[in-house]
Amino acid sequence: MATYVLRRAVTSVGLLVLSSILIFVVLRLIPGDPTVLKLGGSGTDVDPRAFEALRHELGLDRSLPYQYLHWIDGVLHWDFGLSYFSQYPVTTLITDRAGATIQLTLVALLLGLLIAVPAATLGSIWRNRVFDSLLSGGTALGMATPSFVTGIVLIVIFGVKLDLLPTQGYVPFGEDPVESMKTVLLPAITLAIAIAAPIVLILRSSLTDVASAPYIRTAQGKGLLRRRIVLRHLLPNATIPTLTMVGVIVGDLLGGAVIVEYVFARPGLGSLMVDAVYQRDYEVLQALVLLAAAAFIVTSFVVDLLYGVLDPRLRIRGQEA
Amino acid sequence: MSEVVAVEMAQVGGRRGETFVRLLRRPTGAIAALVVLLIVVGVLGAPVLAPHSPTEFDYERLFAPPSWAHPFGTDELGRDLLSRVLHGGRTSLWIAALATAISMVSGAVWGFVAAFRSGWVGEVMMRVVDVTLGMPIILIGLVLVAAFGSSILSLVLILGFLFAPATARLARSAILSELESDYYLAATSVGAPPWRIIFGELLPNTVPVLLARASIVAAAAIFVEASLSFLGLGVQPPAASWGTLLQTGYASLYSSYWYSVFPGIVIVVTVLALNTLGNSLQHALDPSRR
Repeated sequence: MATYVLRRAVTSVGLLVLSSILIFVVLRLIPGDPTVLKLGGSGTDVDPRAFEALRHELGLDRSLPYQYLHWIDGVLHWDFGLSYFSQYPVTTLITDRAGATIQLTLVALLLGLLIAVPAATLGSIWRNRVFDSLLSGGTALGMATPSFVTGIVLIVIFGVKLDLLPTQGYVPFGEDPVESMKTVLLPAITLAIAIAAPIVLILRSSLTDVASAPYIRTAQGKGLLRRRIVLRHLLPNATIPTLTMVGVIVGDLLGGAVIVEYVFARPGLGSLMVDAVYQRDYEVLQALVLLAAAAFIVTSFVVDLLYGVLDPRLRIRGQEA
Repeated sequence: MSEVVAVEMAQVGGRRGETFVRLLRRPTGAIAALVVLLIVVGVLGAPVLAPHSPTEFDYERLFAPPSWAHPFGTDELGRDLLSRVLHGGRTSLWIAALATAISMVSGAVWGFVAAFRSGWVGEVMMRVVDVTLGMPIILIGLVLVAAFGSSILSLVLILGFLFAPATARLARSAILSELESDYYLAATSVGAPPWRIIFGELLPNTVPVLLARASIVAAAAIFVEASLSFLGLGVQPPAASWGTLLQTGYASLYSSYWYSVFPGIVIVVTVLALNTLGNSLQHALDPSRR
């Protein structure tokens, strides 16, 4: 087990280094120079001396490997450099905005699971045509609906027509918990719908596989209550294969947050990223993408470890190896 | 030799024909195919079919709600939204079609090479695929747009690149399963040249699988293009796509909901139809479901 953990840790760190290099290189392939944009010129009418001075100040006149190592050195000290655009420290920009995104993704994940798990479970218990086609129709529709469309429809219904919930902005939870939850509700439902569809799809096929397993038939033969079979035998065993999806779900949450925050004018990391793309603010952009990659890689690492803990078969095989 | 190949080809042709018959027998598959056809005809035939010109101003009817004359309502300049959706669809569909073509061709070549070079070369090629598949598509899309801009050409290339890795994985497994088939063994034992086996035997047999995948890639390309355009980072004015219509409509969401809701519905219907078509094709191809 220890060697397994160690090996997975080393690959994870390797992946992280690889993605940081990739992000850094891709953002420097760009034709033109971010400084030209910053000086407000189109490249021809910029004072060459100001241009050189700015390049020197930002360290852009150094070699690429030097710039990369300089960046990584900062990152390791939790310093992501200065925004090209606003001159604020990127770390401050990120910590200021993180709260809105963390609240949104957590509430959305919770709501998404509350929709997906019962729906998939009921789908595997009630094997009748009507519910079955409702469920597969619902998931197909969920997969085909971009979250900005869901968001717009929800804004029209609950914000414009019924005037029930706030549709814009963000209230920190510490300031006013009730208002904060009211503000997060519509964006979180939007994001939850987007992540629920793929979860239902995977969980359902996993449930169908497990339902035909011999131990389920044994449990039925023993005359166990159906509720007990579902809750104690079916669901726990069906959840294990679904765990591999957690990485994908985290990715969907982060990607979805970009769109949802934009629709609901929520000042989070997603809207920070959209602004950074607009302003070609590479320092901010590379920090955000690195954090997203890190979140993804760390979750997959944790999930792999959990997998070993939850599935006894893997544990034994690990010990033999 | 030529006889063997002829018999093989006839069988292959029969198999492919059957697939499409099976597809059309399933009601969902047939409906999805019909909806896709209607959308493509509507969009390509927009100059003839659209009730109004997409640039015809009508200052008497700014932001008019849906009516018989304007089923989708009108926009800030009184232009007919249905006509704008039909015309804007050309940008969306062209980008999606070209991106799909790029992703299918590059992904298939990538997957085939990885399948034939089963040593470390293939291993490395598939590891690269795994890594790129991990990241959320919209985030990679945003970074690439930041790096390469959002002209129509770069959007096509970016979207094509985004969907190539998953295609490569599918193409590889499709070829690997064909390599185990009897006809492949037969073709190699009669000494057919490799190019002939690849283009005459293997490729035609993986075409249906790849076609099913193409339908799903096209749906995903429309989805992501609309997302990027909605963020203002995709198709740039004066060009219009479904995503940009939605974006401009979003600005006046509180006064005229139809401006963004109708283009949104069109996007959803198109993506849903293409996804369903792709899935039905996959089902029709799956021998265990025959």
